[in-house]
Amino acid sequence: METTISKENNTTIFALKGRLDSNSAPQFEHQLQDFLATPATHLVFDFNNLDYISSAGLRVVLNTAKAYKSGKFLFITCAMQEHVQEVFEISGFDSFITIHRSIDESLSVLKG
Amino acid sequence: MKITFQINNDISELESLLDQLQVLEKKWSLSRKTSAEINLVLDELITNIIKHSNCSKKQPIDLTLTKTDKKLTIQLADSGLPFDPTVCKLPDTSLSLENRTCGGLGVLLIRQFSDCWHYKRLKDRNILTLQKICPKECG
Repeated sequence: METTISKENNTTIFALKGRLDSNSAPQFEHQLQDFLATPATHLVFDFNNLDYISSAGLRVVLNTAKAYKSGKFLFITCAMQEHVQEVFEISGFDSFITIHRSIDESLSVLKG
Repeated sequence: MKITFQINNDISELESLLDQLQVLEKKWSLSRKTSAEINLVLDELITNIIKHSNCSKKQPIDLTLTKTDKKLTIQLADSGLPFDPTVCKLPDTSLSLENRTCGGLGVLLIRQFSDCWHYKRLKDRNILTLQKICPKECG
């Protein structure tokens, strides 16, 4: 999986490409480490180019949501492909993780 | 129609699983969705075996996939510690974020994307058999 990290105003965006499984999850978790230890911006996972997620990927997303739960910054996901969104819904994650249709929608919410 | 292959006991082997399934998707005219679901089920099962079964790297996992009409049967055999995933407790998906834990998510996804499964321990091997009914758009 490829990860592109960018910053827009008060938001850090992780754009994921490829497959988030037990093979790629440890590296992704490592890249997130500093952001989760002390959140200093809002965080968006852009799933537009993410083709696949397994429970190993869901674990990283759950830990991210937990790390952002109590602070003043928000954690948002966006642009999920149908199969990825289905996995989120089966797991019940859509009840506590915000899912936007596009990165533009997420950025405009966070800007306002 | 039947296909048999082995997966080495290493997490990077998930890529060779994907290669095998892409061949199968074409050969058996599976829909993209069905093949993605099979991939997820096998990924979860194989990841579990590799991480928890204490298998040595020299003991590969044997996979057999059989398709008869619309029914797909998947069998996995490994020589690891006895482990029956069919009796694992499923996570409560209605819990709030603070009460959710990571456990059981893989088993939940396997249950969701397969129609029935059966476990037995035979000659020091775990034998897990799953069935999946393919939707009508599959060939």
